[in-house]
Amino acid sequence: MMTYIATFYSHYGAIQFRKNCEKMNLKAVVMPVPRNLSSSCGTCVQFEANGIFPDSTEETEQIVRVEERGYVSIYQADEE
Amino acid sequence: MKKEKTTIVAAGILIGVISAMLVFFGNPANMGFCIACFLRDTTGALGLHSAAAVQYIRPEIIGLVLGACIVSLITKEFRPRGGSAPITRFTLGAFAMIGCLMFLGCPFRMILRLAGGDGNAIFGLVGFVCGILTGTFFLKKGYTLKRSYKMPKLEGAVYPAFQIVMLILLVAAPAFIHFTEPEGGPGAKHAAILISLAAGVIVGIVAQRTRLCMVGGIRDAVLFGEYKLLFGFVAILISALVMNLILGAVTGTAFFNPGFAGQPIAHTDGLWNALGMYLAGFACILLGGCPMRQLILSGEGNTDSVVAVLGLMAGAAFSHNFGLASSADGPTANGKIAVVIGIVVVAVIAVVNSTRKAEA
Repeated sequence: MMTYIATFYSHYGAIQFRKNCEKMNLKAVVMPVPRNLSSSCGTCVQFEANGIFPDSTEETEQIVRVEERGYVSIYQADEE
Repeated sequence: MKKEKTTIVAAGILIGVISAMLVFFGNPANMGFCIACFLRDTTGALGLHSAAAVQYIRPEIIGLVLGACIVSLITKEFRPRGGSAPITRFTLGAFAMIGCLMFLGCPFRMILRLAGGDGNAIFGLVGFVCGILTGTFFLKKGYTLKRSYKMPKLEGAVYPAFQIVMLILLVAAPAFIHFTEPEGGPGAKHAAILISLAAGVIVGIVAQRTRLCMVGGIRDAVLFGEYKLLFGFVAILISALVMNLILGAVTGTAFFNPGFAGQPIAHTDGLWNALGMYLAGFACILLGGCPMRQLILSGEGNTDSVVAVLGLMAGAAFSHNFGLASSADGPTANGKIAVVIGIVVVAVIAVVNSTRKAEA
């Protein structure tokens, strides 16, 4: 199992994503975005998965994999 | 995680010390920092309201935005964004200010009033917490103002650039800018420009690095059981209180005056102190942060926060043009009506924007 963090454009997006994680029986927790990941003060979801997790939605900003040496970007929303 | 908590507490201590020192250097009592009061003073200086006692371009505001802007440019966190429900954010900002001026202070000044011994701020704190709890209820119900989008660099740079213009206007003091006459009211009480500006820049940098937010502390504690930001809030209170006691002992002038009656720039109507801060807390949580946090995000290029700040300034103009703001004599009838309307409007915004809960 690997640890991931997904950030969102709204608190609502985080709640929705956590529910989708739970539907896939993935351990997921909603929490404040870590400061070293973003300067925003929004809500993120930290979840455990084996590479398979819910699809990102229009509310998903980014998904990173947590590694010892830092974060590895898995998904970044198209900002344009 | 522990390091982050230590950093936030250290930041809170520093901000508390700076806030107390600003009063020593000339700011109004218990008002080393007050984002609502300072935006109101700046609004008045621009002639957008005509309350002669509260007109001054406050360098602390300029410093906060520029400090956050500079540090975010260095750390590559200056990311212009916007487009998330601007008119709703403007409205929330305006009513947050009306609530603040009913109480006579933003959440930041509420802490500083407590640190100065002003018991009336306890009622404000109770209302503020209740407002945040109400807003948190809607966050749990799926409240959202929809996502923001990337904006051109210029769009994010306009508001920080505007602060440089304000600094020029402050120093040049052309005749069309309104400044409170000496001894003419709180607007005439201020530290020297360079001291205020430096204080603003330092607090802007510290607040950007730590994400300190008076609303976020209580929100995170309620939503996630996460107390980091709340420790920052408490650190400001304790350090400002200790500094007030030290300044009192050193100068022989009391900076800590426990009690309710006769507190500086405050009134004793507990109910309306509480309701004013209830409105401010409720509106701010729907905005995603307290007035100071909106300024910091504005410095990072967040134009949604700029719109909220413009709303706060419009709210200040409404408050003084329509007789909504309280005074040491107490709240006004117009102000009471405006706060009740504000609570209703903010509740409607919360309900309407929470309707997607069924999809969750």
